[in-house]
Amino acid sequence: MGFKEYVGKRVLQGIVTVMLAITLNFILFRIMPGDPTQAMVGDPRMDPETRIALIAKFGLDKPLLEQFVLYIYNLFSGELGVSFVEIGRPVVEIILGRKLVNTVILMGSSMFLAFALGIIVGVIAAWKHGTKVDVSSIVFSLVTYSMPVFWFGMLLLLVFSYYISVFPIAGTVTPGLAYANFLEYASDYLHHLIAPMITLAVSFFGGYFLFMRDTILDVFTEDYMLTARAKGLSDRKILFKHAMRNALLPMVSLMGVHLTFLLSGATMTETVFSWDGLGRLIYDSVRDADYPVLQGIFLMMAILVVTASLCADITCAYLDPRIKEAAE
Amino acid sequence: MTLDTQMTTRSLWRERVSSHTRRIKDFWTIYKGSRIGTVGVSLVLAFIIIALVAPWLAPYHPRALVGTPFLPPTEEHPLGTDQVGRDIYSELLWGTRVSLMVGLLASAFAVAIGTTIGLLSGYYRGPLDSILMRITDLFITLPVLPFMLILAALLGRNIWNIILVIAITGWTGTARMVRSQTLSIKERPYVEAARSIGARDSQIMIRHILPNVFPLVFANAIIGIVDSILAESGLSFLGLGDPTQPSWGMILHYANEAGALATGRWWFIIPPGICIMLVTIGFAFSSYSLDQILNPRLRRRRW
Repeated sequence: MGFKEYVGKRVLQGIVTVMLAITLNFILFRIMPGDPTQAMVGDPRMDPETRIALIAKFGLDKPLLEQFVLYIYNLFSGELGVSFVEIGRPVVEIILGRKLVNTVILMGSSMFLAFALGIIVGVIAAWKHGTKVDVSSIVFSLVTYSMPVFWFGMLLLLVFSYYISVFPIAGTVTPGLAYANFLEYASDYLHHLIAPMITLAVSFFGGYFLFMRDTILDVFTEDYMLTARAKGLSDRKILFKHAMRNALLPMVSLMGVHLTFLLSGATMTETVFSWDGLGRLIYDSVRDADYPVLQGIFLMMAILVVTASLCADITCAYLDPRIKEAAE
Repeated sequence: MTLDTQMTTRSLWRERVSSHTRRIKDFWTIYKGSRIGTVGVSLVLAFIIIALVAPWLAPYHPRALVGTPFLPPTEEHPLGTDQVGRDIYSELLWGTRVSLMVGLLASAFAVAIGTTIGLLSGYYRGPLDSILMRITDLFITLPVLPFMLILAALLGRNIWNIILVIAITGWTGTARMVRSQTLSIKERPYVEAARSIGARDSQIMIRHILPNVFPLVFANAIIGIVDSILAESGLSFLGLGDPTQPSWGMILHYANEAGALATGRWWFIIPPGICIMLVTIGFAFSSYSLDQILNPRLRRRRW
């Protein structure tokens, strides 16, 4: 199988998964107890005109199959209904905006931090296999893995906001503050970002570290490692030029799969730190029973995850031809 | 049945039992050698005991209003009281039951679903395999927590719904692993032999394939307990816990809602988190050393 065919096959698989997710989303919100129109218009806060317009648009008085067709049609024209809480505001406008940017910044920075630390510490632990350094980093990573993300966030806040005021207690920026220029805004934003970023990064470090360590240990048993030794290469060269490079590939594919967990962690972290992102929005929407927004976020996150794992897989296949052959 | 065949059956049986005990003994010897494993098992046992004797250990009923709200730790209330005046220490002790129950049951259900799907998929191949694996792919890519939140919000706040929600989102890893194991085991000669003497498909799957994948399934189930306990505490923290069952996550939910952070009420925040952490560490350590034993490749390597 060539590279192009492999990419084609994976893209097709991704599309099928997204379609299944859309279907699941549709079904989930319609098997709810009570009125089947609940999910789109069943809220007393909504004004009657909008309600009638939405019922017509989504065919909510028609049979389910017809509703499904209309649902897909509306989805592709970017119409996801309106929020129950922020009365009349389209869901698409709420989801694709500042909140998405905030979440991407928080997730991206903490993922990078956890990934980098996981690789470095993983390589060192594998190299010192069986020593104190190795065992203590395993224990540390198992402890961080076992810690509830939100609780670690609360601890950070208790220590660094309540006892010693280093970090602000909540939010993305200081409310009501006027900024002279962009630089001031950015520094205020970064100041708010540090604590949630550390929280999320610590909770993900363990997974990356253990995986990296195991992969490096596996790489050590390969024949080319023996060759490298026999050639008389230095330890450092073997470790960083040969072992690490080959262990990075599985790490990249892990990253794609990991995104769904990262999203979960982000939801909790954003809730604790009142970070104005999509995760916090999920929490608010569940609390206020804002079903249209909930449907929208769920769909968006599914698409985000499928795209990310697709990109990770394609990158891996491009870098390592053996993966394409294994897929046959 | 003649005396002779009875004897044979009995000796066969004895042989089987002794081989089992020998295996368990070997296993235990290796396990004892691992300090991480010993710590893990002790922690798990300690919490199981606490869960069992919670009614006698706890000074108050976990839902009884026994003091003024927001009391700091005193002699009567070692960890103070919560926002409505319940004793936090008693709530913690009773919370052990909820955590362990959700962890064990959700993980067991998830593993049962995963094993069934993996076995069917790997054994029959063909269209059934394709369909089941597409469904597995879908569940792997679904954003777990949002999915759980939506399900829990739609189904209602009830402990059985929480167990169900966690199980529904947690079976994919087991399914994939069991499937790949089944694919290789099914080609072995003894399975061929069983088939040639006319064993039914269900018999082959349950008597010949399942026992061989069981150790790996078991290791998966233990790490599943960690994930389930963390998921339960997360759901409860986000306000979707069962209001009739005091759980550690729910105490933290109330602490967060009542602004315990901004007022520095550490006794409301730190103890529940430590409990969650110790239980999950117990299971994570147990699982880690189990993995070392089941993958002897890792044990022997010295480079």
